[in-house]
Amino acid sequence: MNTEQQLKLQAFLDGELPEKEARDMANWIARDPDAAALQAELRNTRQALSGFEASLKLPESREFYWSKIQREIQRTERAERAKPATSPMLWWRRLLIPVTAVAVVAIAVLLALPSPGSRSSDVVTVLADPGALTFRDEKTGVTMVWLSYGAEKGLANGHSTSTLQ
Amino acid sequence: MKLSFMLAARLGWVAVIVAGLGLGSARAYAGEMKLEALLVWGTNDAKSPNPKHKPVEAEVAKKLQALPFKWKNYFEVKRERFTLAEGETKDVTMSKVCVIKVVKLGDEKLEVSVFGKGKQVSKITQALPKNDMIVTGGDAENLTAWFVVLRQVD
Repeated sequence: MNTEQQLKLQAFLDGELPEKEARDMANWIARDPDAAALQAELRNTRQALSGFEASLKLPESREFYWSKIQREIQRTERAERAKPATSPMLWWRRLLIPVTAVAVVAIAVLLALPSPGSRSSDVVTVLADPGALTFRDEKTGVTMVWLSYGAEKGLANGHSTSTLQ
Repeated sequence: MKLSFMLAARLGWVAVIVAGLGLGSARAYAGEMKLEALLVWGTNDAKSPNPKHKPVEAEVAKKLQALPFKWKNYFEVKRERFTLAEGETKDVTMSKVCVIKVVKLGDEKLEVSVFGKGKQVSKITQALPKNDMIVTGGDAENLTAWFVVLRQVD
């Protein structure tokens, strides 16, 4: 099976093929055990990855949440308008506060930033298996390369006895 | 005027601290990296049929279980520890058909190639700080899976 056939099978699985091509593909899968195996593998991988991203729900209704933000903005604006005229001392203080804040942020960034070569999120992957997946979970610091099918059947598709022993 | 001078001096000190900390964080990670490669079997079976297999360490198991896979249990099949100096390359045999080639490119950056039956199946270039893992895996028999885990050790 060549790469083009594998990609076409992926498109078939995603429902992206025209009707005639989809029919041809279904016939081919029924005839070819390799194609059937790849289809099953892709389907399993999709199922395994589905639902991995959890959705976030607000504790209150959307309208109420935004009305709270709006009220807070209005309250802050009113407080700003009510402030007296600034003296030179206050002007310097105002200057010092953002400068200090910028310095603190710069320090935090510099401390958090590893040296140039150690950025773990820079991942370059080269794969012989066209159906392979690469993903990184920053939370656990794990980069995963999943070889689902393809170039090395001996390693990536069955024969666990030879791979694992 | 005196007040302005004092504030300018404060700003100066802030700049000195920022510059100092910046230089400190730009330090290089010199020296060798101690690494550990694990060949792991992922399964839903509570026990491995091979009595030599033992469950992987809790830290590794926790990270593998956080991945979006269906397997509940992970057994250590083989463990290899090695060190890499800057620019050094090492071939580590994980099984009869599986070999990994690890190159230390600089700082904590590694190039990890996985070979199956002598053919290269993947190559990943990435920094590997402590507590991170580079995992390569695939299907094995009876809906199980194999994994090669690479991580830094003390």
